[in-house]
Amino acid sequence: MINQPVLHNIRILDFTWVLAGPYATRILADFGAEVIKVQPPLPEAEDKFSRGYYNTWNRNKLGITLNLNKPEGVAVAKKLVKISDAVVENFTPRVMANWGLDYANLKKIKPEIIMLSMSTMGNTGPWRDYTGFGSTIQAFSGMTYLTSLPGKPPLGLGTSYADHVAGLIGCLALLGALEHRQKSGEGQYIDLSQTEAMSSLLGGAILDYQIEGREVEPVGNSSTEAAPHGVYRCKGDDRWCAIAVFTDGEWRGFKRALGNPPWAEDKNFATFAGRLKNKARLDRLVEDWTKEHTAEKVVALLQGEGVAAGVVQDASDLAKDPQLKERGFFVELEHPELGKTISDAVPVRLSTTPARYSRAAPLMGQDNDYVYRELLGMSEGEVAKLRQQGVVK
Amino acid sequence: MKRQGALSGYRVLDLTDNKGMLCPRLLADMGAGVVRVEKPRAETFKRLVETADVLVESFSPGYLESLGLGYSQLAQLNPRLVMASITNFGQSGPYRHYKSCDIVASALGGQLYVCGEPLSPPLKPFGNQSYYLASLFAATGVLLALRHRHSSGRGQHIDISLQECVASALDHVLVRYFYQGVVAERQGGLYWSGAFRVFPCKDGYILLSLFHQWQTLVEWLAAEGMAEDLVDEKWRDRAYRLEHLDHVIEVLERWTKSHAVAGLVEQGQAMRFPWAEVSSISKLLKSPQLEARNFWVEVEHPETGKKYKLPAPTLRAVGGNR
Repeated sequence: MINQPVLHNIRILDFTWVLAGPYATRILADFGAEVIKVQPPLPEAEDKFSRGYYNTWNRNKLGITLNLNKPEGVAVAKKLVKISDAVVENFTPRVMANWGLDYANLKKIKPEIIMLSMSTMGNTGPWRDYTGFGSTIQAFSGMTYLTSLPGKPPLGLGTSYADHVAGLIGCLALLGALEHRQKSGEGQYIDLSQTEAMSSLLGGAILDYQIEGREVEPVGNSSTEAAPHGVYRCKGDDRWCAIAVFTDGEWRGFKRALGNPPWAEDKNFATFAGRLKNKARLDRLVEDWTKEHTAEKVVALLQGEGVAAGVVQDASDLAKDPQLKERGFFVELEHPELGKTISDAVPVRLSTTPARYSRAAPLMGQDNDYVYRELLGMSEGEVAKLRQQGVVK
Repeated sequence: MKRQGALSGYRVLDLTDNKGMLCPRLLADMGAGVVRVEKPRAETFKRLVETADVLVESFSPGYLESLGLGYSQLAQLNPRLVMASITNFGQSGPYRHYKSCDIVASALGGQLYVCGEPLSPPLKPFGNQSYYLASLFAATGVLLALRHRHSSGRGQHIDISLQECVASALDHVLVRYFYQGVVAERQGGLYWSGAFRVFPCKDGYILLSLFHQWQTLVEWLAAEGMAEDLVDEKWRDRAYRLEHLDHVIEVLERWTKSHAVAGLVEQGQAMRFPWAEVSSISKLLKSPQLEARNFWVEVEHPETGKKYKLPAPTLRAVGGNR
């Protein structure tokens, strides 16, 4: 018997844009939810990056054009709310309210509706109207400040990581709300602040500050739990490997991997406390070895002796990584205009109801017919009228 | 009115280490009852499994099987069991027995390479982000599996790889490679597209956007006599600005250095610039926004009795009493 996708009977009305919101609804779509993405009737970005970005985060979703700046558009949106299980958006709080599509209104249309809002700061508080993207949120949350080298200005991350975090937490919250509805029949409003989502993942830093009574400063690649611990230069142009040695057993393995060099027998390195205390010198000695070898060779030697090590992989390394490949991490989908496209699988491997990848992201209004005619039961004339009014493109 | 948590009534067995410990906590935040098991001993553990809904573990692949406690063995005892396994590389593939930890997962997952200064070593994002991601994905899997169980009556196994979790949270990195053939590089505090950058102020750092509302920004600088040549028409062209980004940054930096962070952010946000203070932990604890939204809960230290502020559970809103 073939299992139905987990979310086969769930319909999501998706007003999200950029990354955080689309990432949340992509997970739901990968597990079978019918996600209807509302596309504002704007000219499409033509450049390769923008199209690729849109296609990557919106696979498996349906697309409809709908102009919410016209009252007729809002009326159509309300009809869609009536037949949906959940509404997801990541605007600043005033946007949905201006359209009359805030939770108070949606609840009148459908009492058991679930609404997930994912704004920069949340729907309440003095900064509720603050606007932001991933970089903004990472800065506000503490992540940017803490990601740097000791004594250096803040650097932050090389990606809009906070978008993924907020998307994941949003998706989890929405699944929790579906579970609650299953039991109680009630819907609910989820007011997720992206900044709070990111700030909740700072590990022990917040407690450390209060216990130590001084500012928590960036630590670069060092750790208090392992030495050596860091990133070491290898042979070649901009090639690096990450190494972490936690236990005495791993230290012995590390020495074997290097062919038991005399320097490693220095009694300052004999204990973990000694290695941690002398880590600057240790790091230099480790790098003297790694820079003579390719990153791949360093990793093979160390892993062969049971030491945690990995090549610092760039995008081209990832694309040919044997582990990712073996597990089918890269998904191929045919796009009507872009041809064969590749994106990352959802890393939630369910044994009986795995994710399915059925189609690339929708073109503008690709599913207007299905949604307006079939789902909403509009006549051809009604849809034509909406087109004429500029409500549907 | 206090609502019951969405997962109230479910029992979760927690067999995780650092790599997976956030997962049971997330499930507890949504109301699940979590039983921590330090060391699974076959017979007593099997009895626990019979009454459990969910098991979360982070042992190396094959370890629980060797004790007779692998998923297929436990599913015979309790077919409704949902089991999530969080491992370095997943249950399959050539690296499945490789050792790992946060910095190694971040390296092999592609996050490290794009973080840090251009000519310096790649830099690890703060905290154990690969562990947090793995727990978030695992909890997502648990909720999906519980939902499927409502209709099928059967549990299933969830296989989570730290490496994959990192590689599926890379924003622009894979997109640029697969669509443009571009390998993303490190750019320090400058976002890859040049859209954002960290700038020094009198008393700290600010995150500015360099593309949004350019004209408004230049007028603002000009009103303070600090726009220099940016008032020239040619700077209105975004491509030209990108080409000569160093100059734009120099002028902006002279301006930000003459201001305090908080005032600039407040005024900028009022004008709809997506700017932010680069907050340290002490600043975070003073944020009026987090305070107003009850982000903090006071927790008493079990030994000293001292009180500390910690983030309230992120998922407190779901079926909670917020």
